[in-house]
Amino acid sequence: MTYSDWLRVDRLPHIYCAGCGNGTVINCTLNAVDRMGWKKEETVFVSGIGCSSRAPGYIVTDSLHTTHGRALAFATGIKMANPELHVVVFTGDGDLAAIGGNHFIHSCRRNIDLTVVCMNNQIYGMTGGQGSPTTPRGALSTTTPYGSQEPAFDLCELASAAGANFVSRWTSYHVKELTRSIHQGLGVPGFSFIEALVQCPTNYGRRNKFRQVMDQVEYFKTHGILVQKAHRLRDEGLPIPADAILLGDMVRRDRPAMGVKR
Amino acid sequence: MRLVIDERRCKGCNLCTLVCPYRIFSAGKQPNARGIVVPVLDRPERCANCRLQALYGRTLCGMCQMICPDQAISWVEEKPGEAQKVAIEF
Repeated sequence: MTYSDWLRVDRLPHIYCAGCGNGTVINCTLNAVDRMGWKKEETVFVSGIGCSSRAPGYIVTDSLHTTHGRALAFATGIKMANPELHVVVFTGDGDLAAIGGNHFIHSCRRNIDLTVVCMNNQIYGMTGGQGSPTTPRGALSTTTPYGSQEPAFDLCELASAAGANFVSRWTSYHVKELTRSIHQGLGVPGFSFIEALVQCPTNYGRRNKFRQVMDQVEYFKTHGILVQKAHRLRDEGLPIPADAILLGDMVRRDRPAMGVKR
Repeated sequence: MRLVIDERRCKGCNLCTLVCPYRIFSAGKQPNARGIVVPVLDRPERCANCRLQALYGRTLCGMCQMICPDQAISWVEEKPGEAQKVAIEF
């Protein structure tokens, strides 16, 4: 089996814009799920509202397209009702960090056996490019026409502080590493959170000097540094570049998890 | 095996041109019937996956297929034809 067996071929091509990184993250997630050897009848994909949350519509398994920000609440219900199911949540930054922020931290606190793949495009892409909690400082959007003045949310720090068992961050350029991290996260009992930075050429890149799709992917490639390297730089007293994107597996621990079959 | 781009799915983002280690993909020039400029393949028989997938029994590099946001890149089985001389660059 390959990942393409999990796609609903009759629904393709999908509605994402040309060059949208969400499709790449779907590939990586399906590859990781395929590598786990799970049955299609025992896997459920849950999503909220947003560009990223259209992903389960292109996957053959059972799926749930829920209300805005409440994907984790619905996923908790699925997992509690039937712990046999493998639940994977697709969510976006506006879905997870803004309107669903409380669901997110409490899912981390409860440490429910879910895998959350957050496609962070750093903007509200579907509704026309409004600034989201993860829009970097200085970035232009329709609601921050002079540059965002607010510090951005670091979702990985939030998840690890709230108590998730597995936290990792990659970008849509690092496909092999992202697949490996999602595969590890699927195997970890307890809450696994994988943040994937994706390019949004239509609403983010166009306003922020990434005219071509490749420009933003090149930015991810050149500005991403591994957390191990960042820690080494910090220990040596060397400066970490301000625009660096920390990548890699941040947290891996074994807190007591909820919803795990015994 | 043969490397193909599904023109019904490709949206012409050219991300495959960024990742291919053999630089098989290059940006196209002519729009197709759907008005999309699909990347063109330069000697696709150089692709490691085309040559060695059957031998190793798994996908070898596969970066273009993984990064393609539109699931347009795949390898199809070929009918056994006559042997061709292939120049491989290292």
